[in-house]
Amino acid sequence: MQITTEKVDTTFVVIPAGRLDSNNATVFEKTVTDFVRNGETRVVVDLSQIEYISSAGLRVVLMLVKQLKSGNGSLVLCGMKPSIREVFDISGFSKILQIRGTRAEALAAG
Amino acid sequence: MTAALEIRVRNSLDEIARLAEQVDAFCETHGIGPGIAYNLNLAFDELITNTISYGYDDQAEHEIVVRIAASDKAVEAEIVDDARAFDPLSREDPDVDADLDDREIGGLGIFFVKQFMDEVAYRREGDYNVVALRKGLAAND
Repeated sequence: MQITTEKVDTTFVVIPAGRLDSNNATVFEKTVTDFVRNGETRVVVDLSQIEYISSAGLRVVLMLVKQLKSGNGSLVLCGMKPSIREVFDISGFSKILQIRGTRAEALAAG
Repeated sequence: MTAALEIRVRNSLDEIARLAEQVDAFCETHGIGPGIAYNLNLAFDELITNTISYGYDDQAEHEIVVRIAASDKAVEAEIVDDARAFDPLSREDPDVDADLDDREIGGLGIFFVKQFMDEVAYRREGDYNVVALRKGLAAND
């Protein structure tokens, strides 16, 4: 999978693309947790390029938000397609995560 | 309309993307909407990922067979593997109302299968696990 990263002021923006499934969740996990370990505290994950996410992808999101919270950081998600949003809703994750529509809204919320 | 497809995958996680491509193509050909295709792929992925990750006692190559049959009313599917006997329905559902601090990692995959499919059944046939799935097709799907 392709993972693009950007720094917008103090916020670290991660833009994964394609499928976030059991086969590549570990690549995504390693990329984001390495950046957090290296000091990033405000993180936005822009999911607009993600076509598919499974529980393996949600697992990484949950680990990431716990890791950030323990260091007083924040995680905001944005850009979910309706089918992706449905997975977050059914899992109950929508209630415990910050989710915004656009990246601009996510950057403002973080 | 009735249509059927059989796909055979190896016990390797990179096979799931190939399976998804074929399921998407099958759904598109037979007028089944992308929402249903996503639900089917999620169910297949979660079940097969579990089987590949935890089901085998050896390092050998195994085959997992996915059969799909579609009518105007529903899509029915079976996943057949020769892994250790395991009833996915025996797993307890995660607490989806838990706070972030109490939210546990894991258990979501099977929960998704149950949530996104209308019927899920498990049976052991000889040396094989068979999981049968059914998803009804509403007129607007």
